[in-house]
Amino acid sequence: MRSLLKTVVLTFLLLLASSLAVFAAIRLSGGDVTAARLPASATAADRQLFRHQMGLDQPILKQYATYLGKLFKGDLGNSLTNSAKISTLAVEKIKNSLILGATSMLLVFGIGIPLGMIAALKRNSWFDTGITSASVAGMAVPNFWLALIAIYFFSTRLGWLPSAGQGGIKYLVLPAFVLSAEGIALTVRMTRSAMLDNLNQDFVRTLRAAGLSERRIYFKHVLRNSLLPIISLAGLRVGQIVGYALVVETIFGWPGVGQSLVNAVLRRDYPVVQFFSLLLVLVVTLGNLAASIGYTLANPKLRK
Amino acid sequence: MTDEPLLDIRDLSIGLRGDGVGYDIVRNVSMSLYPKEILAIVGESGCGKSLTALSVLALHASPPLHITSGSIMYDGRDLTKVSASQMRAVRGAEIAMVFQDPMSALDPMFTAGTLLTSAVQAHHKVRYDVAKSRALEALADAGIEDPRRRFGEYPFQLSGGVSQRVMIALALINDPKVIIADEPTTALDVTVQAQILDRLKELRAERGMSIILITHNLGVVASVADRMVVMYTGEVVESGMVEEVLATPQHPYTKGLLGAVPRLNSDAATLVPIMGRVPQPNELPPGCSLPIVAAESSMSAGPIARILRYMVTP
Amino acid sequence: MSRFRRALKNKQLVIGMIIAIVIVVLGIVGPAVFGDYSKQDLLRGHKPVGTPGDFFGTDALGRSLAARATYGIRISLFVAISVTGLAMVVGTIIGLIAGYVKGLVDGVISLLIDFIWGFPLILVAVLAAASIGSGLLPVILAVGLVNTVAIARVVRGEVLGISEKDFVVAAKAGGYSTMRILTKHVAPNVIPVALVLSSYYVAVAIIAEAALSFVGLGAQAPLPSLGQMVSEGRNYMRLNHWESTIPGVIIFAMVLSVSLIGDGLRDLLDPRLRTALERARAK
Ligand SMILES: Nc1ncnc2c1ncn2[C@@H]1O[C@H](COP(=O)(O)OP(=O)(O)O)[C@@H](O)[C@H]1O
Ligand SMILES: [Mg+2]
Repeated sequence: MRSLLKTVVLTFLLLLASSLAVFAAIRLSGGDVTAARLPASATAADRQLFRHQMGLDQPILKQYATYLGKLFKGDLGNSLTNSAKISTLAVEKIKNSLILGATSMLLVFGIGIPLGMIAALKRNSWFDTGITSASVAGMAVPNFWLALIAIYFFSTRLGWLPSAGQGGIKYLVLPAFVLSAEGIALTVRMTRSAMLDNLNQDFVRTLRAAGLSERRIYFKHVLRNSLLPIISLAGLRVGQIVGYALVVETIFGWPGVGQSLVNAVLRRDYPVVQFFSLLLVLVVTLGNLAASIGYTLANPKLRK
Repeated sequence: MTDEPLLDIRDLSIGLRGDGVGYDIVRNVSMSLYPKEILAIVGESGCGKSLTALSVLALHASPPLHITSGSIMYDGRDLTKVSASQMRAVRGAEIAMVFQDPMSALDPMFTAGTLLTSAVQAHHKVRYDVAKSRALEALADAGIEDPRRRFGEYPFQLSGGVSQRVMIALALINDPKVIIADEPTTALDVTVQAQILDRLKELRAERGMSIILITHNLGVVASVADRMVVMYTGEVVESGMVEEVLATPQHPYTKGLLGAVPRLNSDAATLVPIMGRVPQPNELPPGCSLPIVAAESSMSAGPIARILRYMVTP
Repeated sequence: MSRFRRALKNKQLVIGMIIAIVIVVLGIVGPAVFGDYSKQDLLRGHKPVGTPGDFFGTDALGRSLAARATYGIRISLFVAISVTGLAMVVGTIIGLIAGYVKGLVDGVISLLIDFIWGFPLILVAVLAAASIGSGLLPVILAVGLVNTVAIARVVRGEVLGISEKDFVVAAKAGGYSTMRILTKHVAPNVIPVALVLSSYYVAVAIIAEAALSFVGLGAQAPLPSLGQMVSEGRNYMRLNHWESTIPGVIIFAMVLSVSLIGDGLRDLLDPRLRTALERARAK
């Protein structure tokens, strides 16, 4: 428990440091902003004035403090492309990304763990071989390509599902599956190997000798032991979803944080880039922190 | 001692079957356990003691190991032929087992209490508090000082000795007629070993249980067991009352074993090493009976120092 | 020799190697054989594979798909292999130092390593592109940083285990210099792990480069990149699917081959090391 507190404190320090690094890196490219935002005929004085108005000529730490101060007041500045308030824009994008991200996380564990368990239980069966090879392939198919294939078959050819945009569940199916595919494959692999590993542990023999049913041994004891490594790496799954969301949202025209960030980078809309970058750093950091807290709570040795 | 054995293993053979290999590791083993007796199985490491014991409760790794012939009679039934659910009813409730390495034999994710109450509930439809009070009793019966505290502890919080007592509590909890203890003290230090063995002896007296005790240690056999079976390369080479076997060993291997035990009144220089090494079953020529490596053999010493080590350390 | 034989019996390794050799050869000789990747001919656009005169097909601007894809292989391999190779060297050194020196140095290094390890490569690459602008450079920096950290992390763990072992303790007691112990005794035991891991991280790097180029933040036109080709071709799936399937299949084959090679090498490794690998691979 003590070590947990230490982890939390250190994580927040690192979060502060890394967000400052990201903030600084993006701010320091502010020179580009003047080039992108001012007409080519602008004089050096105009540029200087612009930088001054934007607060770009102050020390970076001060800029960061000012930024955080405004952030906590809910003032995120305006987009350079359409002058919209970022705070209004962000609420909608965050909501959309949360829907997609949470669905994908559910699919990763909700499909990955049961499939991995069945594969381990029926090892060397056709089911196991099929699942195992599919997961090797699943990890090798880049997910933007998987997206295109899925769109081609399910939208263009079969017309079952929309290829892009947002609206009911129908619009969620393809992006969520594509986004979670690699995570599912990895989770299947990990669950399978952890289950097989634990099935060979001595404690399984003890439980059998005590007369416990196979079902109980498998679903309570072996499963609980096998979930530990999966929990400890769940933070990576969060990161993976966030990373791939940048690509998948763009392909499926899913109006979320990922798509907005990529578009903002392409358009050099740096106030938007700034906010969404920091947001994603925060999400990934919290995801990892949640996983290590979960691991501590799930592991009797650390919990005590 | 009645004439009817409680557990009767007849001509049991256990084979290893896999791609390209197929030979019997345990061959034509017979032994009987009578009510209220302690039967010791002794023999060199790897000779098939554990495998024989595990096969009684169908706990051997199958595949690749299979019972190829023979029977294990218990209570009028052949345990090699019962269904999986019938076997489950026997495990822990009729015949219980205690394993060698208590530290790895307990599930690290659950408390001793959870383990014990699940064992009760695996055999009896009782409420949790009933199961819990039985668990506390069993912990006390196994010689644990503070059952309430241990009940809530996880395996990593228990010492080796306490873990082994938890294993014994687990074996006792459903009041079985037979306990098979597979080298229950090998992983423990000497004082704890003695306490655990004493406890097993007392339990036999208090509850009239029968115990099969697998051990490397002839000293333990002499002080605890009534009868003994000597195994060598997968076969039983000698059996009988402990005093008789130890006093007048018939088989060269047994003689060798005895020769290798240091006596208090002799010094280490007179230890007689057993020459050669234990052949693996697949190295035996087909149809050939057991090759005997006797104390008299003049073959140069192989890794038999291993045996000596087992014999010298209690 | 016997190790070589054993390697030949390993199906995953052999298949992975064959695919890898084909791809590398394509990347080396392709651009010379298939000609100029930027030569346009608007009259000969969207030609499917097998068209007489444009046997390997053309894209919307009539550029040769084969020339562009093979040049794309070059870029992809350059980013993934050379950068991961460098990351392997630097990561191994950092891991060796952190694991062996221990104390505060290790505390700080491993804290940073664990933190950065939590970040996905694609996100880091997008953040890099956000700071320094689109192109191959942010991808290279991100691959370098993330893979260095990933390798350092595993090497450190291995070194912590090994430096407790008798032979290292004995070497220390024997008064050998730290440098000598690290290079002669510790490194040979951790380098195999780093090598196998690197093959997995090459796969991750290939995917990241392709993904970044796909969304437009990676390689910039006129430089051809596989990810960018898939992206351009996606609008013509019905008209001429080859424009996206050729680069798509190549990316798939590259990633598959390095993963197979990684799995094959893993099986040749000491079983003790496999668990460490399986964990590190979860990324
Ligand atoms: N799961 C298994 N697979 C293959 N061989 C086994 C397995 N378990 C035991 N054996 C073999 O069976 C023989 C007897 O083992 P065991 O009964 O454990 O010996 P003991 O308990 O007498 O030391 C050994 O040679 C061992 O290698
Ligand atoms: Mg044994």
